[in-house]
Amino acid sequence: MPMRRSPELRPTVWDGLVVLAVVLLAGGCLLAMSRAAGRASGGLTAVVTVDGREVDRFAPEELLEAPRIYENNGYTLEVRAGEAVSTPGGQPAGGARGIRVAHADCPTQDCVRTGTITRGGQSAVCLPARIIIRLEGGGTGGGPDIVIG
Amino acid sequence: MKLTTKELTTCALLTALALALSYLENLFPLAAAIPLPGVKLGLANVVTLFALYALGPGQALLILTGRCLLGAVFAGNMNALIFSLLGGLSAMGAMIPLSRRRRLSVYGVSIGGAAAHSCGQVAAAVLTLGSRAPVGYLPVLLGVSLLTGTVTGLLAACLFRALGHTSLR
Repeated sequence: MPMRRSPELRPTVWDGLVVLAVVLLAGGCLLAMSRAAGRASGGLTAVVTVDGREVDRFAPEELLEAPRIYENNGYTLEVRAGEAVSTPGGQPAGGARGIRVAHADCPTQDCVRTGTITRGGQSAVCLPARIIIRLEGGGTGGGPDIVIG
Repeated sequence: MKLTTKELTTCALLTALALALSYLENLFPLAAAIPLPGVKLGLANVVTLFALYALGPGQALLILTGRCLLGAVFAGNMNALIFSLLGGLSAMGAMIPLSRRRRLSVYGVSIGGAAAHSCGQVAAAVLTLGSRAPVGYLPVLLGVSLLTGTVTGLLAACLFRALGHTSLR
């Protein structure tokens, strides 16, 4: 089978430009999301969106009393208060324990693997269930961190 | 597009190979080594890269589309089709012009394709969820695509070198 074009098989300096473009794109996205998260202020609030519609909004501390269950598209997610998170200095991060998807019966389990989210702008997303759990406010501007599951 | 029997057979074989590599990859998820949800190595992209250089953009696109459609059918998950199609077509959209740049090696083309694949998948997530929230995960995916693109580029380079020692090239 003759090759239509023979590729260069050793990395070239020009490949660095592609890498640079990818890094710049990632940096630009981070900056834009950081600014968006930084604009939010007030206490930390969890917002739950199902199929693009907001269905619940609560303070993460409310999960200490009881977990919340969300169902959609044949899947069930159980949202609980997050694990205790502390900074290197031993202080609680943002004064909040955050939230986590403790259990989900979706096939990917990515939302569960996301672990605890603690800052405004962070999200845990379950794609099979089409459920997004996002933290708003807190005014930390600590950068976004979203996980698709 | 008019294909000879030999070209059609080659496309079918490469589609089957890409499907097998996708299945093989699921047995050894990259998430076990890199604890980031949704991260995949993209071994099937080695086949796409090979087809792009060996057969041209038209047939590479045919193989990619066939792999995405059959992958969704065999997995019984048609919801995943929009993700693989948008990711794959975005990757192809980036790799076709990049592969025409003679100064770029197969590594640069592969990294560009991997990054575009991430963009396509995030776009699919935005469309599926009706929310811009998945865009926040794009920087993470782009960072990982530098690694996965390099690995698939390395594998493709090894493949091309190996073919150089045979009469197939």
